[in-house]
Amino acid sequence: MLRHLFKLIWNKKASHSLLIIEVWAAFMVLFGVLTLIVYNLRNYLQPIGFQYEQVWNLEVSSNQDTTALAEKLQRTMQRVRSYPEAIYASRMSSNTPFSANQIGNSVTYNKVDVGGDFYYTDGELAKVLDLPLKKGRWYNDADLAGKFVPLVINQQMEEKLFQNESGLNKIVKLDDKTSGKIVGIVDKFKAKGVYMSDNPGLFYMLRPDDRFNSNILIKTRPGTDANFEARLVKDIAMMLPGWGVEVGYLKDSRKNRENLTLVPVLIFLIISGFLLTNVALGLFGVLNLNIAKRKGEIGLRRAMGATEARVTGQFLGEIWVLATFSLVIGLIFAVQFPLMNVFDLDKETYFIAIVAAVAVIYMIVTLCAWFPSRQAATIHPAVALHEE
Amino acid sequence: MLTNYIKIAWKVLLRHPFYTFITLFGITLTLTVLMVVTSFLDHLFGAHYPENKRSRSLYIASIIQTDSANTTMSSGPASFDFLTKYAKSLKSAERVAIMSNFSFSNAYVNGKRIKLNTKYTDVDFWSVTDFEFLEGKPYDETNVRNADHVAVITDALRDQYFGSDAATTVGRSIDIENIRYRVIGVVKGSPPTRIYTYSDVYFPYTSPKSNYENKGMRGRFAAIVLAEKASDREAVQAEFDQYVARIPKAEYSENNRFNVLVVKADTYFDHFLNMFVRSDKDRVMVYTIVGLVLLMIMGLPAVNLVNVNVSRILERASEIGVRKAFGAPSKALLWQFIIENVFITFIGGAFALLLTWVVIHFINSSGWIAYADLTINLPVFAISLLLCLVFGLLSGVLPAFRMSRLKIAEALKA
Repeated sequence: MLRHLFKLIWNKKASHSLLIIEVWAAFMVLFGVLTLIVYNLRNYLQPIGFQYEQVWNLEVSSNQDTTALAEKLQRTMQRVRSYPEAIYASRMSSNTPFSANQIGNSVTYNKVDVGGDFYYTDGELAKVLDLPLKKGRWYNDADLAGKFVPLVINQQMEEKLFQNESGLNKIVKLDDKTSGKIVGIVDKFKAKGVYMSDNPGLFYMLRPDDRFNSNILIKTRPGTDANFEARLVKDIAMMLPGWGVEVGYLKDSRKNRENLTLVPVLIFLIISGFLLTNVALGLFGVLNLNIAKRKGEIGLRRAMGATEARVTGQFLGEIWVLATFSLVIGLIFAVQFPLMNVFDLDKETYFIAIVAAVAVIYMIVTLCAWFPSRQAATIHPAVALHEE
Repeated sequence: MLTNYIKIAWKVLLRHPFYTFITLFGITLTLTVLMVVTSFLDHLFGAHYPENKRSRSLYIASIIQTDSANTTMSSGPASFDFLTKYAKSLKSAERVAIMSNFSFSNAYVNGKRIKLNTKYTDVDFWSVTDFEFLEGKPYDETNVRNADHVAVITDALRDQYFGSDAATTVGRSIDIENIRYRVIGVVKGSPPTRIYTYSDVYFPYTSPKSNYENKGMRGRFAAIVLAEKASDREAVQAEFDQYVARIPKAEYSENNRFNVLVVKADTYFDHFLNMFVRSDKDRVMVYTIVGLVLLMIMGLPAVNLVNVNVSRILERASEIGVRKAFGAPSKALLWQFIIENVFITFIGGAFALLLTWVVIHFINSSGWIAYADLTINLPVFAISLLLCLVFGLLSGVLPAFRMSRLKIAEALKA
């Protein structure tokens, strides 16, 4: 039967070639959109690993002031901690959660070199963001006395850097001059929100005399409102004349950050949805016409004793073979993506997208062929043969 | 003859409403997508409020320091000092405006926070741009010289801060980060997609926290250079390139880390592209991706239409047979079908125009982009019409070609 179907398709390859191209193109579009969706969905299913609801981000910028920056930042920090509304506060580099900034760097252990996001923070960050530790502890001021930089890494970083052994208390090389000691390991830290993939990350302890990292994350008491914020900005601005002071809520920045991911996905989804609807309608029309032309053939088969189901099966089989032709061509293209590691996505994402796209294509062609072939199969043989 | 063809086309359309629907759906969808996209591109790159003179403007927005092997690179906006030295002094330019990239700030009113974007500009900024003043006037050289604490605000901020029922706002004060500014003018706001003119508050560059006195090349400022007319831009670019070429290496090498300096006065589109594209390889990549996406959006419905049209040859076979039997040449038939297709495409185009209008209206009123001003204007419409034609020919030529080659006997037999 299958060989027969292939023969039927092959004999009409010229007139079918356009259909094959159409199904192939539909598959490519689907593959692209599904890759995007699968990638984001898989990230979405992993928790971000920290709490942000009551956290504010206070950003001070020194502008033209160049004197005694470290002392001023320390004084600001003390001032922030003195408010009863601020439960915890921590200094952090500019790549605060949900911000647009990124700081990428690499770390070496045993000749294995792993790149990741570097977050420069002080000892309070775990409390501000409720970051639970899997192993070890968060660094504190006592750790600064040693000759190694105190570090905390996330699970991803541990797996990539130490493969199967534990990374706790290991010494890693940060650059030619500095090495760090890992004192704790956290599970996940997806600073850019749910749609960020779980990249390797590393927390690097700031020295108190640091002059550059001027973001302060504040965990506020529940019920704190903009009145406190206005007071805070006013006090800090008085303390630091000429400096810029800005407060943002992590809640708001999270929304903005996630919209940046969602809006493009939505636009693509809408456009490709219309494209596929269009293809489905077209296929339906073409199959309708093609099957209507073959009434004689159907009448003959029915007269020889083929059941309705067999006739329907034949047409469905034909369109499946046709779709398979297109999908084979499509797969030749699609498989290149995981093989050549395009866009640095993991292979699984591509494979799930490919499987899903294949399934959707089969579904669409089946739906389009079902109705015309049912209609054709129910024709009385006498009527069908009479028309010839 | 033409009216006859169109009459025939109309009758054919009415004969099978379902197939007509499929055809029109494909055409309408494709053209709508393309028209919304062109309208959006026009919104991004065309000359619109407040940058109405964009067609004769050049943008100096980033300084790139790199070495000839391209191993290290550092880039960012320029300093006020740099732009004053090399852009303000351009002799071939009509005017040069210097403004900071917008930064964020907060204002508080009755325990409510207002998030603000702030911008520091020079006086020429107001003549290079075409802001519409609802109240008051822009600051002038005197304000800048005295470092007055004055500000121009947008109507949206006025309504938020002073309430929408306030009689006049000019002369009242606004408190931003603990500094009081006197409101000197109120302008109609602009969409945030025009980053060089977008802000909620505009200050003279001598206001506090603008960092205009910073030495060095890099800072937070950009410049818009206005040429007398669009064709003068090349002369201005040449002059600016000369100035840049004369900058001594010591100024940008940072202890011999860099030996190449790239600063360009570009048209808005080029400058936008250069933000993402660092090399010719990237450029090819960008164009390829854009081309592929366009090909998919246009190609898929086109192939679909061709398929439907080819399948429907037999419906028209008797008509073709009769016409050929009476001596119509293939060429005449070919023309008939092409015209038919173009006609159908135009009907689809009319629907698409309507649909585009709805979508654009939705985007403008959804608040997705504040002050969005997407329009179906003449260039967009002309491009759409052209696309209509290309599309009609694309989906019409192949089936028409096959139809016109049918043998007479066969055609009449069917």
